[in-house]
Amino acid sequence: MSGEGYADHVVQYAPDYSLCTGCETCAILCGLTHFEVTGPHVSGIHVNLGTRDCIHHIEVCQQCLDRPCYEACPKKDEAMCFDEDTGVTYVNQEHCIGCGMCMKACRFEPSRITLRRAEKRKGWRAVKCDLCRDKEGMPTCITHCPVRCIGLASDSVPVEAGMHPAIPNAL
Amino acid sequence: MPNYTLDDIRNHEGNDQHLLGYSGKIIRINLTTRDVSFVDTYQYVPKYVGGRMVINRIFWDEVEPGTGAFDEGNKFIYMTGPTTGTGIPAGGRSAACAIGAANSPEQYAWGNIGGWFATELKYAGYDGLIVEGKAADPVYIHIEDDTIEVLPADDLWGLRVHEAQAALEERYGHDAKSMVIGPAGENLVRIASITTGNDCVFAKGGFGAVWGSKKLKAITVRGSGVIAPADMERLMYLRYHMNNPGMRPSPVLHMTEIGVPGAEFPVEYDRGNVACSPGCNQHCNALLMNGRSAFSDERVNHIEKCVSICTFDYRSDIPTTVGMFWPTKENYCAPCKLLSREFPEPDFSDPNFEGQGQPLAPDILDFWGPDYDRGTIVNDLCNEYGIDKWEIIIWMMPWLAMCKAEGLFDGMDLGCEAPIDVESEAFLREFITNLVYRRTDVGNIFAEGMARAIRTLGYETFSETIYHGRYSQMLDGKRIDLPVSLEAAWGQSVHWQGRGFEGAIEKPTWLAMSLINMVSTRDAQTVEHFHAKYDYHDEAVADPYHCPHTIDAIMHTQNAAEIKDSVMSCEWQSPDLWWPTMEAEMYAAATGYPMTEQELDEAACRSKLLFRAILIRDHGRCRRQEIESIWRILCVPDSNDEVADWESWNEMVDLYYEARGWDLETGWPYRETYERYGLADVADEMERRGLVPKRPSERWHDYGEPPSVLFAENRKREEQLA
Repeated sequence: MSGEGYADHVVQYAPDYSLCTGCETCAILCGLTHFEVTGPHVSGIHVNLGTRDCIHHIEVCQQCLDRPCYEACPKKDEAMCFDEDTGVTYVNQEHCIGCGMCMKACRFEPSRITLRRAEKRKGWRAVKCDLCRDKEGMPTCITHCPVRCIGLASDSVPVEAGMHPAIPNAL
Repeated sequence: MPNYTLDDIRNHEGNDQHLLGYSGKIIRINLTTRDVSFVDTYQYVPKYVGGRMVINRIFWDEVEPGTGAFDEGNKFIYMTGPTTGTGIPAGGRSAACAIGAANSPEQYAWGNIGGWFATELKYAGYDGLIVEGKAADPVYIHIEDDTIEVLPADDLWGLRVHEAQAALEERYGHDAKSMVIGPAGENLVRIASITTGNDCVFAKGGFGAVWGSKKLKAITVRGSGVIAPADMERLMYLRYHMNNPGMRPSPVLHMTEIGVPGAEFPVEYDRGNVACSPGCNQHCNALLMNGRSAFSDERVNHIEKCVSICTFDYRSDIPTTVGMFWPTKENYCAPCKLLSREFPEPDFSDPNFEGQGQPLAPDILDFWGPDYDRGTIVNDLCNEYGIDKWEIIIWMMPWLAMCKAEGLFDGMDLGCEAPIDVESEAFLREFITNLVYRRTDVGNIFAEGMARAIRTLGYETFSETIYHGRYSQMLDGKRIDLPVSLEAAWGQSVHWQGRGFEGAIEKPTWLAMSLINMVSTRDAQTVEHFHAKYDYHDEAVADPYHCPHTIDAIMHTQNAAEIKDSVMSCEWQSPDLWWPTMEAEMYAAATGYPMTEQELDEAACRSKLLFRAILIRDHGRCRRQEIESIWRILCVPDSNDEVADWESWNEMVDLYYEARGWDLETGWPYRETYERYGLADVADEMERRGLVPKRPSERWHDYGEPPSVLFAENRKREEQLA
């Protein structure tokens, strides 16, 4: 997708190594860790659930090196920020105005950035994966995945390309 | 408006105790009038905890005695729990009740279900649903936060389960979660189920037919709000300690054999393991990949739950060990670990290792031989039509096999062009399709479920004829007879009854399982598996009918089931016999309310009492009625060629009734029993109806004569002739 590649981001391993169970622990724990709640718009990671075939895929920011979300932010470096040491683009909740420009600028479909209702319901705030940059160790989603089917890598090869032969039409 | 912040939940109208975990509202939808209104969740909690306890109370308050499964007055009452969507393991499940179409006779039934629907409903701002009335034409309910609509379902009606799910996802997006019925529910097939994602189902009770009678095809929901647990630290502790999650990779494996343990046959397929609901820390559902579809050339994945394994091969029954029901602390293993094949290494230092590890050899039944493709087709038919696999695989198919072996079908075709043969994919496909669409007279008969069908065909012949193909491995291959119909109680098939499916278990165990089924309305063994600590095993074996520990364990099993269906967990996670405060900790972590083990147990007793009162008030439940319902199966010999003794069984029932505070003669709770658990209002109504017994001056002891059991008489006659 991007000609310039990605920084380290959360990736889903091939099912030969570990099959996603669809438990959504990654998304639930992400919401709890960042906002003390669970919900579809409070997590930086989302699980695209296979209702019928039970083959599930994570959808998460790949930390594009050219950072279209960062470039689109009208409050760049205040709301959407960039950590030069780690390559992580992250949202400063204090300054985000919830305009949604970053969400629209994301090159993935669906967008890897979502909007949550802000405290006291005064407007919106953007939510995206920040690799739990304020915490020590690996991101929460990786730490708590019961089957270790996600990890950290800069290689952007999507998981379906390395799918198990038993999942020929996964996507 | 859904809850979007912690404060929204804490300060929700009616939430005087500022509980977290709940969303705060239950939706009431009347399909006759299309009216939508709301019920305050907090008027029921924390007293009724959530899930099953709340639906019991609503059912008691709102459903009139005498209501039939297909009547307009029947209600489908559905509830999540306070742990649902919080990340507390297995909290993603939910419970529902209604007058069941599958029970015989029709009566209150309940079930629980996995999938992602429950969590999504809470994101939309609701803890549950009360669906009442009847639509004139097919409809579905669409919920999206504040938008709640009853919409025409003409274009969905007639679709199979997966087609309907796909159509709704197409319409509302992949994130919308649905519960749907298939053609079986539409055609009022009494064993019809309701399906949600992951092929999770409300299988028991025939709720799919209840929806069909209301012309309700589906409910779909999408929410944008939040759920909040109260105690993150406790939540994380639970995640890391409930049944010792593996926390290791779980790859797709290429398998080279399948079948009942000990009787596997060679076949190549791929297998993974998945979870059933959000937040679970286990993955007990086996995913069999790329099997044949019953409807196209497409290869399909399907979930293999415990019963599916028998579709592939049913020459011998399921082997067990003593420790599966009477575990020791050292070698306790949760069922989710068995199903995901992650059971721990045995602890040989266990002083009771040998006793609890003692194998119980399964019976040779010789119902049908190995065929992987046939098995996947049968599973796919059940999934897509939306019918209860248990009834098809454990009752109907063995019945077909046994009747054919005994020559009962000679000269018959059962409405099928294909010759009657349970090993034939073509025959099974035709027979099951006929019953789902009520094609042919025979299809119409079997659409009523096995209990009713065999009575229509001729009970004496098609239920009580002796099948001569069962051989006990517990008794060195001795032939022990079975009746051709494996019916237990209330129109449900056997399940851990000591004979037929999951048969080779010890007498104290099958007595306990049968007592639990006797006081139930549905097959209780998918939701209330009996467990007791091994410490009491030898005492129970020495006197299976009178061991007080067995009675305690039965009550603990029932109460624990009530609790896990309310706090919300699953049968495989809860209870943990060596962690008695686990569910109270789950509740506290979800809500912030300092629930104690004792308080939860009292809530369970209260809910059990409500259930009992419903059965007495609405269905005339009494001692004689329920003993007659279970007695037949107790007269079928177990793997050790033993049957129950009438006097002793009645004495065991006495012990249980006394422990529950029920009258021995009627089986009805006394007034003080209701009052002890805060149900004086229920006692008042029961008293007005003349359904509260007076304590007798002398202990009642008039068991009378046992009901006649045709199978037992046939067996005696055959022995005399021999």
